[in-house]
Amino acid sequence: MFELLHAMMKEEWRIHSTMFGSISFALFPVMIFGIAFMGAFLVPLMQSALPAGNLALTLHSSYLMLGIMVGGFGLLGNEVMNRRFGQASLLAYSARSLPLTAQHIFATFVVKDTIYYFFLWVFPFGIGYLAASPFTGTPLTGGLLLLLTLTLAFLSGLCTIFFLSTIWARSRLLFWLLLLLGTAAASLVVVAGTNPALLFPPLALYRTFSWDSLVATGVVLVLLFVVAIALFSPEPVGSEKRHRDLYLPLLQRLRALPDPALAAKDIVDLYRSGGLVGQMIFSFFLPLLVIWFFLSLLSPAFPPHGLLLMFAIVTGVVASTMYTWVTMFDSFGPYACLPVSVSRLISAKLTMFALLQVLPALFIAGAAILSGETAYLVPAVVLGLAISFYAVAVMAWLAGLSPNVLVYDVKVLFLNMVLTGVAIIAMTALAFAEPYAALGSVLLLIPAWFFVQKAKTRWDAVDPAGF
Amino acid sequence: MTIVLETRDVSKNYGDVQAVNGVTLAVEEGALFGLLGPNGSGKTTMIRMLTGQTRPTGGSAKVLGIDVTEDPVGIRSRVGIIPEQETPPSFLSAMEYLRFVAAIRKIPDIEKKADWWFDFLDFADKKDVLCKDLSRGTRQKLMFTQAFIHEPALALIDEPLINFDPIMQDLVKDYLAGYVKKGRTIFLSTHILEVAEEICSEFAILHKGTLLHTGTIADLTGRGDHLPSFFLSLVRKDRHV
Repeated sequence: MFELLHAMMKEEWRIHSTMFGSISFALFPVMIFGIAFMGAFLVPLMQSALPAGNLALTLHSSYLMLGIMVGGFGLLGNEVMNRRFGQASLLAYSARSLPLTAQHIFATFVVKDTIYYFFLWVFPFGIGYLAASPFTGTPLTGGLLLLLTLTLAFLSGLCTIFFLSTIWARSRLLFWLLLLLGTAAASLVVVAGTNPALLFPPLALYRTFSWDSLVATGVVLVLLFVVAIALFSPEPVGSEKRHRDLYLPLLQRLRALPDPALAAKDIVDLYRSGGLVGQMIFSFFLPLLVIWFFLSLLSPAFPPHGLLLMFAIVTGVVASTMYTWVTMFDSFGPYACLPVSVSRLISAKLTMFALLQVLPALFIAGAAILSGETAYLVPAVVLGLAISFYAVAVMAWLAGLSPNVLVYDVKVLFLNMVLTGVAIIAMTALAFAEPYAALGSVLLLIPAWFFVQKAKTRWDAVDPAGF
Repeated sequence: MTIVLETRDVSKNYGDVQAVNGVTLAVEEGALFGLLGPNGSGKTTMIRMLTGQTRPTGGSAKVLGIDVTEDPVGIRSRVGIIPEQETPPSFLSAMEYLRFVAAIRKIPDIEKKADWWFDFLDFADKKDVLCKDLSRGTRQKLMFTQAFIHEPALALIDEPLINFDPIMQDLVKDYLAGYVKKGRTIFLSTHILEVAEEICSEFAILHKGTLLHTGTIADLTGRGDHLPSFFLSLVRKDRHV
C-alpha cells in the first residue's frame, strides 16, 4: 500500500510539475500561505463589516466546495487523463497490470488525493493563519482549531463526492433518493427554525469544540470513505457495444454554427462520456445549491436585492468553469493530423461554451422567480452571463486549451484571480448601488472579445503541448 | 522531377536536448521515402516538424512548397498524416470519426469511401464501435484510413505497420507500393528495416538527430549490400564515434 501511495504521490507531483515547472508549481502552496497570512490581518476589518460568525461560515463553506471540486476531478476517469495527457498511463488505472484489486488501488488513490491536496490547499492556509496569529493577537489555539475544522470541511466535501459518485455509478435511483432525503431533512431543519449551518459538523466544531463531536465527525467521514471504496465499481473495458450514429444528425442540425464539425464532436464527447450530466450535477447544480444556501445566510449583510445579484455573479464565475467541461476530453493530439489550428479549436470550444450558457441563464432566472425577485430577473441574468463570458475569455487567454491543468500554475492562477477579481468587485459595487445598473455589465464583453483575440494569437504561436 | 519535401539544416531542440541537428533532405514526387533510425533518433520529431505540429528551432523546411512555420494548417490540409502515438477520439465510433475527418477536410461521398476502406482493411464489423473500445490494431486501421481517404499528394506516416498482424502488414505494404505508382509520394518513418528495404525507393538514416546517410535502395542492393546490415554497421560506427 505504501509503495503504491508513494508512487501515486510522485506521479501527481510530476503531472503538475511537468506542465509548468517544479518551481512554479512549488510556489502554489506558498501563494496560498501568503494569502492566508495577509488575509489574517484583514480579519478584524471584515468582522466589523460582516455579522458575527459569517467569516467562519464563508471559510468553511469554501473548503467544503474545494473538497467537492477535488473529489469530482479525481473521479473523472481514465478517459480524461488519457485525452488530457495523451498517452500517459496513470497508476490509478493499472488494475489490469498490477497484482492489486481495483478497490485497493482506488483506496490508495483516495488517500493520495486527501494527503496531496491537503498539503497543496488546506495546510498552507492554516499555517498562514497560524503564522500571522502572534501579530494579529489571535490565540494559537484558535489558529490550530481553524486548521483542524477547515481540514474536516475539506474532507467532508471530498468524501461526500466520492460517496455520491459511487452511488451514482451503482444506482441513479438511489442517488436521487439520497439527494431528495438530504434536501427534505435540510428543509425540515429550516422550517423548525434552527440555523442549518450549525449542523455542518466542522463549523459546529469551530464554534464549540468538543472531543465527542470531533470523534463523531471523524467516524461519519471514515464511514463515507469506506462505503465509497467498498461500492466502487471499475469502468468496464473492452466492450464492443455498437452505437447508433449521433454525429451525422448533429452535424446537420448545427449547420448554423461557425464550426459544426467540431461542435458536433464536442457534444458527442460530452454526451457519451457522461461528462455533461456528471458535470452538471457535481460541478454546477450541487455547488450552486450549496452556494445559494450559504449566501442566503449572509443576506443580512447585503443591500436590498443584493442576494440575487450576488448569486448571479457567483453563478457567472462557476458557469465560466464550463469551459473546462468542453476542454477536458481533448488534447491537441487527435487534431494534429488534421488541418485544424489551436485558435480554431479555441473558437469551437468557446462556441460550445456559449451554448452551455443557457444553463446558468435558466438557473439565475429560476432563482429570481423563486426568491420573488422577478423584477430583477433580466439584470441578474445579464450580470451572470457577462461575468461568465468575461471570466472564460480571461481563462482562454491564460490557459488556452488546458484550463484544468494550468490552474495550478501560480502565475496563471494569480493573473486569473486579479483579472476576474477586478471585474467582480466593480460589477458587485455597480449592482449593489443600483440593481438595474447591472445591465451595464454587458460592457465586459469588450475586454472579453479582446482577451479571446489575444488567446488565439498567443496559443497559435506556441507548440501544442503534449504530456 | 518535382521536389515535394525539402529541409535545409533543420534543427529542433527541446531545452538542452538536441532532437534533430541540421538535417538537409529532399524528396521527389513519386518516391516512397523511408526515414530510418533507432528509437530516439529524431524521426518522430522530423515528422512533427514537417507537418507543422512543432516549430523548428533552426533551418527551414518546405512541404509541397509551403514553409512549415508559415502555414502549418495549409500543409495539413494537403497531406495525409499518421502520427506515431495518437489515437482517434475516444467517444466517436469508427464511422463517426471518418465523418468528422470528412467534415473537417471537406471530403465528398464519405459513406462510399469509408465503406471501401472498412472492407479493404477488414474492419467493417467495427464501424459502429467507439474508438476507445477498439483494439490497437483496429485503431491503427482507422488512423491509416483517415490519412489516405482523401488521397493526398503526399502522406507522412510514422510507424504505420507497428500494430498490424502479418497479413495486414502485407496488404498495407502492397497498398503503399501501389500508391506511389500513381505518382503520389510517401514519407515513411520506421525502424523496421526489412519493411523499408522491401517497399522504399529512397532512404535516409538518422541517428541521435544527425543525418548519417541518404541514398536509394537500388544503389545499395546494386553493390550487393542489404539495408539491415548497412544500417547496423553505420549506426554502430556512429555510436562508437
